[in-house]
Amino acid sequence: MTDKLEKGLEGLESGPERTAGIEPTRGAPAAESHPSVTALLEKFGDAVLHHELQAGDEHVAFIEPGRNVELLRWLKEDGQQRYNLLIDLTAVDYGGGRPLQVVYQLWSIPNKRALRVKAELPLDSLRIDTVVPIWSTANWLEREVYDLFGIEFSGHPDLRRIMMPDNYAEGHPLRKDFPLRGRFSRAEQTRRALSFDLSDYYTQAELAVIGEWEASQAQEHAPGSVEFPEDVKQSRDPRDAGSSAEEPE
Amino acid sequence: MGIGERRDLPVVGGEKDGSPGFLTTKLDFVVNWARRNSLWPMPFGTACCAIEMMASYASRYDVARFGMERMSFSPRQADLLICAGRVTYKMAPVLRRVWDQMPQPKWSISMGACASTGGVFDVYSMVQGIDTIIPVDVYVPGCPPRPEGLIYGILMLQEKVKGESIQADVHKALRHEDPERTGRPNLPPEVIEQIAGPFGNSTNQNRASGLVSTRALARPRDRRP
Repeated sequence: MTDKLEKGLEGLESGPERTAGIEPTRGAPAAESHPSVTALLEKFGDAVLHHELQAGDEHVAFIEPGRNVELLRWLKEDGQQRYNLLIDLTAVDYGGGRPLQVVYQLWSIPNKRALRVKAELPLDSLRIDTVVPIWSTANWLEREVYDLFGIEFSGHPDLRRIMMPDNYAEGHPLRKDFPLRGRFSRAEQTRRALSFDLSDYYTQAELAVIGEWEASQAQEHAPGSVEFPEDVKQSRDPRDAGSSAEEPE
Repeated sequence: MGIGERRDLPVVGGEKDGSPGFLTTKLDFVVNWARRNSLWPMPFGTACCAIEMMASYASRYDVARFGMERMSFSPRQADLLICAGRVTYKMAPVLRRVWDQMPQPKWSISMGACASTGGVFDVYSMVQGIDTIIPVDVYVPGCPPRPEGLIYGILMLQEKVKGESIQADVHKALRHEDPERTGRPNLPPEVIEQIAGPFGNSTNQNRASGLVSTRALARPRDRRP
């Protein structure tokens, strides 16, 4: 192993390095108000940590990560809010040991109103509750965030990698501490990619399902296993019925 | 062309020294004529190069003029693999399997910078040149190459096919079928490391193609010995 590789593998264990004097990820509080953020503040109070404007007119509400399901469910189901479309669920890593942000980009179709909700996760506990029960589109989006950032979504029905292969051992590529060319050498990466195995791409549960399906197919198409109705039986050539049994020598 | 001294060529083959005889060379000519004028390509288009490849097949450029009468979307009926576009490590086993499924004899063209070297995508997810996975006969540079570029590459390949011999070792070296090697890289690890370095593959492209220098090629017919 080269020194570079060892250093990279070390990074896999220790995580990103913290640097001093970094800028905070939050900006100044918003001057304007947003009806949904006002309602959130009234209803949940201290669960809404911060409200700011980004890129001019994008309202961002920072919430407490532990109460994300409660707040987001209310945002979807409350009669005044009705954020029924989860446009995007992603994460941001600003690097330098700053917390990772999980971003929920919401859109209310009835109210024609957008809201961005962020939850900041400290690097030592990258875990947040899933929102799949609220918006089922979050299923693959959360898998993507888990794959590329390593954030775990508790309660997710099927949390596994979606882009990188299941046996990918180099970490989570979109994290700032991830080296651009990956942690393994090119030769090792090529070797791993080419040693194609179904179990790298499917879970054991899926492979079991495939096995069951194949077994059922084999049984279904076995000679003599198909029971035809009477009229079909009569119209069929008698030589076809049980042909394997009556095969002339 | 003057009248030279008549040489007595052996009819079938050299006595024991392996030199080609009259029948072998003529058979080579006929076989190569048939092979090079009926190359059926298997398009492996993964990115923008594939758009240029489609343009090459369409009516304006029309590679059917060169005997590529149809695209073979099944590797079983293909002679030529055109890998057009970037290949990710996740796609690498697919490319390898498609190549392994093609019957002999087979050739491959690496179309564009990304397929040949990884291009600008020197990142964790990208194969740095498909010659780490499959043997490549012709590299077509460009980002993406114009249809003329691809056609030029095809003409180069036809020239290459023309120069091949049934007896030659090129088939054994480049087109050796070894089922046990399935799933292993095409090159040894240290070579992969070498060509995967910054600007690595772009200086090593002559290795697999067998061409000494690409500058010497003005037109395909100039390359005839």
